[in-house]
Amino acid sequence: MKKRMDQIKSNVSDIFELPKDIVMDLPKITIVGNMQVIITNHKGLIEYTKNIIRVNTNCGVLKIIGADMCIKTIITEEIIIIGTIEGIEFLY
Amino acid sequence: MLAIKIWNYFRGYVIIRVEGLTLEKFLNLATNKDIYLWDIERIEYTIIEAKVSVKGFKSLRKIVRKVGCRVYIVEKRGFPFLLEKLRKRKMLGFGFIIFIGLIFFLTSFIWNIEILGNEKIKDEEIINFLEEMDVGKGRFKHKVDLDKLKSNILDNFQRLSFASVEFKGTKLLIEVKEQDLPPKEIDKDTPCNIVAKKKGVIEKVIAKNGKGIVSEGEVVKKGQLLITGVIEDELLENNILVHSEGEALARTRYSRKKEEPIEKTVKEETGNIYTVKEIKFGKKGIGLSKIDIPFKEYIEEVEEEPLIEKFGDDFPVKVVTYKYIEVEKKKIKHNIDSLKKSTQVLAVQEINKKLPKDAKIISKDVIYLEEENKLITEVIIEVIEDIGEKQIIYNKED
Repeated sequence: MKKRMDQIKSNVSDIFELPKDIVMDLPKITIVGNMQVIITNHKGLIEYTKNIIRVNTNCGVLKIIGADMCIKTIITEEIIIIGTIEGIEFLY
Repeated sequence: MLAIKIWNYFRGYVIIRVEGLTLEKFLNLATNKDIYLWDIERIEYTIIEAKVSVKGFKSLRKIVRKVGCRVYIVEKRGFPFLLEKLRKRKMLGFGFIIFIGLIFFLTSFIWNIEILGNEKIKDEEIINFLEEMDVGKGRFKHKVDLDKLKSNILDNFQRLSFASVEFKGTKLLIEVKEQDLPPKEIDKDTPCNIVAKKKGVIEKVIAKNGKGIVSEGEVVKKGQLLITGVIEDELLENNILVHSEGEALARTRYSRKKEEPIEKTVKEETGNIYTVKEIKFGKKGIGLSKIDIPFKEYIEEVEEEPLIEKFGDDFPVKVVTYKYIEVEKKKIKHNIDSLKKSTQVLAVQEINKKLPKDAKIISKDVIYLEEENKLITEVIIEVIEDIGEKQIIYNKED
């Protein structure tokens, strides 16, 4: 049922050219070089260490691997992470 | 970003240290409660440090109880905490206020007067006039009406064509421009004589009004009466005074002597330069490098400039650069003929500058004299010019 809902939402946003991150409530991840990651529309922090940060989102867990990372800001909509970023992956 | 930092600084914030096992839960709860945390740093597996506003810190307590971790303050930062500290040290704040007050107080006086652009009028004259106007060193700045002062200066000194008065800090800067006054014209009705303004041999006296009293060929001295405005008549009791007018043409001489050594020692730069720098505090100098000039013959050049250009020449700390330029002395013998020519031309040029416009040149004499390694050139030029000068007759009875 949920999958079907998502499919409809995706099609609607395609037809009306609406941004998918708003229609489907998906995270928007912006990476600035290898030093800053901005995640908007997150669903909470799961793990936070200097080398690995895991953030819950609507489309699975986002895992950020890096060195000397620290959270610059954390508010309900946004997380800004700075440090040396080595990799980003989604875990389902 | 900077604006937020400044805002946080003014509101005051604390750096907190959180110890516990489920720190991610703590962070999530804090975000859900709209508590703004920033610069979160993981120190150890069980410890994180974060910055939070004073208000946010108070509302964190509920979460702390829920999560079961310990929070304590590492450092307080920001303006409110600074004020708190200052409240304990009242005298410091008091001193600061006195300091600022003193600066404002002292800068509201005139401490210096600078006058620029005056050539013939002396600085003292203007300063004395300012004193009369109640403007001087140690007076209040706001009591001075600049526009009024400016017009007063212009009124008092007829010679000035322009004046600007302004404050530059504690300095009163007066800029003036002098005007060339034309020689005073004597009114046509005022009785006057014509006298000689220099000595000469009279060629011709044309008296248009008044009576010429010198004859041709007479040698007159400076100030001697040439055309008198006093007309005596036996029939009249009183003398008639008239405004005399006329030309008094006379032969005058202009001479100019020039001395030039025939053999000259010329200093020639070898191109070797040795510089020494010095820092000057007021009038005391501190040498940065030892003065040990490696040249026998040299020219010294001194350059002074303030350490910080922006503050201008008044800045008391200055950098002085001494430049020693090595020179070599060489003897050069001039060709006498060419030397004669060049000195003569120079002398004539100098005379020409002195000659009045209406002067007529009659003769030119050049005398050369060789003396002890020197060539003396004398140029004498004879001209005919008007040497008359009007002089008012003051009634002796008055």
